[in-house]
Amino acid sequence: MQNGHALRVRGLTKSFGRKVIDALDLTIMPGEFYALLGPNGAGKTTTLRMIAGLMRPDAGDISVFGHDVVRNPLAAKAVMAWLPDEPLLYDRLSPMEYLEFVAGLWRVEPALARARAEELLETLGLWGHRHERCEGFSRGMKQKTVLAGALIHEPRFLLLDEPFTGLDAASARLVKQMLQSRAAAGAAVILTTHILDVAERLATRIGILSGGQLRAEGDLTALQLHAGVAAGSLEDVFLHLTN
Amino acid sequence: MLRQQGFLWLFGHELRVLWRGSILVRTQKYVLLPALGVALIFQGIALALAWSIIKHPLPLAEMVLIADLNLFFFFLLMLSRAMTRAIDVLYARGDVDFLLASPIAPGRVLAVRMVGVAASVAAPWLLLGGALANALAWFGQPWALAVYPMLFGEALVAAALAFALVVALVGQFGPRIARRAGHALALVMGVFIFALGQAPRFMPAAALGRFWRALMPPPGAPGLASLFARGLLGHADALAASLAFSLLVFLLVWLGLGGQFAAGNMSAAAYRPAGAAQRQGGNFRGNASAVFMKNLRLLSRFPGLVSQTVYRALTLVPVLAILAGKLRLGGVWVVVPLLVFLTGQLALFFISVIVGSEDAPELADSAPVREARLRASAVSAAAYITLLLMALPVLGVLLRAPTLMPGLIAAMAGVLASNLVLGLRLPIPVTRAAFGKAQNGTLLGLILGVGVSSTWAVAAWLLVAPNPLAWLSHIRG
Repeated sequence: MQNGHALRVRGLTKSFGRKVIDALDLTIMPGEFYALLGPNGAGKTTTLRMIAGLMRPDAGDISVFGHDVVRNPLAAKAVMAWLPDEPLLYDRLSPMEYLEFVAGLWRVEPALARARAEELLETLGLWGHRHERCEGFSRGMKQKTVLAGALIHEPRFLLLDEPFTGLDAASARLVKQMLQSRAAAGAAVILTTHILDVAERLATRIGILSGGQLRAEGDLTALQLHAGVAAGSLEDVFLHLTN
Repeated sequence: MLRQQGFLWLFGHELRVLWRGSILVRTQKYVLLPALGVALIFQGIALALAWSIIKHPLPLAEMVLIADLNLFFFFLLMLSRAMTRAIDVLYARGDVDFLLASPIAPGRVLAVRMVGVAASVAAPWLLLGGALANALAWFGQPWALAVYPMLFGEALVAAALAFALVVALVGQFGPRIARRAGHALALVMGVFIFALGQAPRFMPAAALGRFWRALMPPPGAPGLASLFARGLLGHADALAASLAFSLLVFLLVWLGLGGQFAAGNMSAAAYRPAGAAQRQGGNFRGNASAVFMKNLRLLSRFPGLVSQTVYRALTLVPVLAILAGKLRLGGVWVVVPLLVFLTGQLALFFISVIVGSEDAPELADSAPVREARLRASAVSAAAYITLLLMALPVLGVLLRAPTLMPGLIAAMAGVLASNLVLGLRLPIPVTRAAFGKAQNGTLLGLILGVGVSSTWAVAAWLLVAPNPLAWLSHIRG
């Protein structure tokens, strides 16, 4: 481990014709719940994809719990879970089969994986559907199945891209509680969201990304100070910093 | 119990996903028995063919030529299919990112994908070639069993080259052009095989004989050029060398692409198409024509439209030859059932493309448009394209034998209406389902469509043939 960081990003740069991420620095500690906010096209998903090891940066270093994502990707991925904005799910597998596959990918011991899968499906209200193929599921049910997949190997670092899309109020509250308890147990969580209330209530720290650069970072008070809108809401701060 | 993250474990997952998505499984209650029947018929034909091969043994040079030709055809057809499959498993299915985000070695994921594609493109040829090989082995010719390793080795090479080609083509031109390249290859091959089959009709026998002799290996023991053919004929040294070559090509491509795959450069998310520069659409229309134009656009932008239409339209070759007076098969009337059959098959294909390419059916359903109008629009678009393609041969019939027109028009109208209605309800499988979407075509639709086209073709034949029951008197005689 490197100075106890869960995530350490230095000078991260990526271009697709134009610069999408420009010398980004980011540090997240274990147990921290970090919300990465930004307007459409700010580079949030690209940042998460590079951290997840799905895309090579043009420049910069990324390390997760001391593992260099570019040089030692398998070790980094072993402690991470990545949840994309569109649920990647095999429609022709049932939730139980999907979790069995995900657990296998992360080499979770089979008996332990079964117990965790049962617990997750029960908690997320999918137990009654555990043997149905996912093809008939609603968007919310698919999202919950994918979330269960992200949690089954008990990752120490969760990368969540719009995790609350499609969830009803009760499910969203449940997922928030699950994520908070993971953070309380020492896991680091980074999520992107366009629902600013969620970020304000859940995150211990918020980063605002715009034009590939981190415009401001900190808790709400720090952001208000940075933006110069003393009593403003997160929405006021966000709009001020991104316009 | 397979080791988690292992090659076989991942391959098992791949097979499970493929099997559950296969049309055979989705429509098994309808096709299992017919498929079994067809398999038995094939095995029966293979037994008869094997018996004939044993009774009339050919010289080695001729056997080598036949083996060479088969391997050549199989390879190009496998390569074309493998290109389409490679695009599907890399860019369309969309689970590459999901697997790359896990701590499984990316090289293993790529290897499983490549072997999976090889197995899927080899399967139909292994089933066909296997039926003959089994029959030959049954009659005491075990060398024929070499077809199994040889075809799988050939499929490994085809899959490896397909992955390399697809990655290069997608990088340069995008998945659409890459897919078209695969289709074009199959089309060229199909036309070539068809032309070769028809060669005795348009080439003098002496010229054809010279052509075949030129392709024969030199007298004596065939050399290195016939290595693969000799492998297929069960020569142990050639078989071992061929397999070693196949594995080497596969490994080289796998190693060459491994870095790109691990870097995430070979997935749907990595491919960022440039904005479409040319003007497309933008002419706002009324309700009916807007829906009709949407259907025509879906149809015209279907990736396999040209190749699959040309395949089906190969029936036109004898039709045109008959209309031009170059081929005599009992009279001009023979073209009528052929044209009716083709009309039915084209109509079914076009309506299936429109139904299968509809990505947002709920959008139109949520609009204040009657459902009947939506269906009518799809039917009109498919009918319009079918009739447009059939106009020229029908004009040929009008000029050459106008008396056949009433029968032809009546039967064409019948087959068009029947297959368009059938295709709306039971489209044939023409589009591969994207990741997370179910395939909506069925084999039942395909089988019924051929049945309906054949029935109308027979009806047309009864209408236009001068003496349709003449064959009965031949049997009695």
